Amino acid sequence: MLPDHTDQDMSKTLLTVVLWLCCITVQAQSKDSVTVNFKLLFDHKPLQLKQSYVTVNKDTVTISTFKCYVSDIAIQYTDQTVHYEKNSYHLLDSEIPNSMLIRFPQVKEKVISKVIFKIGIDSITNTSGALSGDLDPVKGMYWAWQSGYINLKIEGQSPSCKTRKQQFQFHLGGYLPPYNALRTKVIPVTIANDNTVNIGMDLAVFLAEVNLAITPAVMTPGKTAMELADISAKMFYSE
Amino acid sequence: MKKIGFILGIAVTGWGILALSDNLTTPIYFAIPEGWPKPHYNFKQNPLTEEGFQLGRQLFYDPILSRDNTISCSSCHLQATGFAHVDHDLSHGIEGRIGTRNAPALINLAWNKHFHWDGGVNNLEVQALNPIENPTEMDEKMENVIAKLQQREDYKLSFKKAFGDEKINSQRILKALAQFTVKLQSSNSKYDQVKRNETTFSHQEANGYALFQRHCAGCHIEPLFSSDSFENNGLPVDATLQDYGRVKITGLEKDALNFKVPTLRNIQFTFPYMHDGRFKTLTEVIKHYNTIQPNQHTAATFSKPMQLSDKDRVDLVVFLQTLTDKAFLFNPRYAYPKK
Repeated sequence: MLPDHTDQDMSKTLLTVVLWLCCITVQAQSKDSVTVNFKLLFDHKPLQLKQSYVTVNKDTVTISTFKCYVSDIAIQYTDQTVHYEKNSYHLLDSEIPNSMLIRFPQVKEKVISKVIFKIGIDSITNTSGALSGDLDPVKGMYWAWQSGYINLKIEGQSPSCKTRKQQFQFHLGGYLPPYNALRTKVIPVTIANDNTVNIGMDLAVFLAEVNLAITPAVMTPGKTAMELADISAKMFYSE
Repeated sequence: MKKIGFILGIAVTGWGILALSDNLTTPIYFAIPEGWPKPHYNFKQNPLTEEGFQLGRQLFYDPILSRDNTISCSSCHLQATGFAHVDHDLSHGIEGRIGTRNAPALINLAWNKHFHWDGGVNNLEVQALNPIENPTEMDEKMENVIAKLQQREDYKLSFKKAFGDEKINSQRILKALAQFTVKLQSSNSKYDQVKRNETTFSHQEANGYALFQRHCAGCHIEPLFSSDSFENNGLPVDATLQDYGRVKITGLEKDALNFKVPTLRNIQFTFPYMHDGRFKTLTEVIKHYNTIQPNQHTAATFSKPMQLSDKDRVDLVVFLQTLTDKAFLFNPRYAYPKK
């Protein structure tokens, strides 16, 4: 026989359960989560848009746009187990600070050793038609005339560029072989006290290897995009 | 406890019924004609519904998609001509701006893997981004299209009917357009009727069909009359357009001057022909294949000039006319939507 509850008792129980559930949710978002913080840097210091910097090649540059897709993010622990994020597609946009923070559930007894992710969008997603959210083509990271996502967009100005308004524009992408510009990155990390993993994206590293006078723009998939994608992968490091 | 459970049960059921009735859509069955290959389009990602199809149709015929609200999809894709752009070698967009290619027919797109003459578009759903944003076509931004549609009560209702709520985003616009264009099916020409043993070819048509099978069917593969691949058919490059086709997409030398093999269904009405609309009549097209010498770059199936007699050339045209499908060209479901 079930104990005989009154309606009031039932309501109390329900309320308790609901409150308890709320607590778990809040906790999961604060304490028990890890934030991967992608930080835009120039030579190890936070990069400010529109501010002038000098590269190792003595190019004076300002950055106006930085947008980058990171996908298939996974967290590897010291015990070699891996947590994969489902539907893992994130557009990092320098204009939207919140887009640089990606949260993961923290597993209590485990210690994070590596963050694994792809720079760009995989070929299956590239051929999957009209998508939404971070993959919405209105985000300015999609080529219409040659279907496919721009994996990484870096735009700015430099007197070294003999172009209109001294602009440089790097739109790196392409998924069709032999010019698949997707790059995988495995970064060994240590976790900071505030449960944050900091990953730097250092444009000084990228611009050190790009000759702005010769290659001020890449706007299509191809050989140059492949070379620049290789270079761009180097600018990600544990910070 | 029982009472609470009962009330809860009623509430959940009631909410369920309400939600269901709100989202009630009518599925459309996509019929594959007998003997045809499996369509390439992934219907699972965009299940066809009457509401989605009608929304797509409304959008297809609405100039609201263009910057100055003057050009719709149907401006360059007219039903009566197989959704191709007749009378213009190069299609034109807003303010009389002229593009670089002839707008292709929209027929049996469910079987296409690639879109555009150079195959640059990899999925039917994302094709519409091109005419909307191309400066020589509609010269509009998708964000503006969304904003314009959000101002319209009739569209809000149509999106709600098709997708369950009034939200309008690029994905829903593109999926609705795809629901309409993927349904533009043509499979009831005289050729199809002959294949179904409902009628027979005349002598002339039968001779034309035999010639077609010998000389053309290598690339224009039945029953779709296309191979959905890219070939060089020996056309010299247009000096003013400098359009080398597929190579622009792949970056591969071997793709220079390769263009998509178009379907020949309803070919009688989809003139002018070729990617730049350089031939006005089928007779001119056949003359091209009759005399052109293949070289190392032309299609592998294109081994020698056809060298047909005048009579055979006429018969071939007569056969091509059996690919005309009046039930498609005048299907009221594909026509301008009447309010």
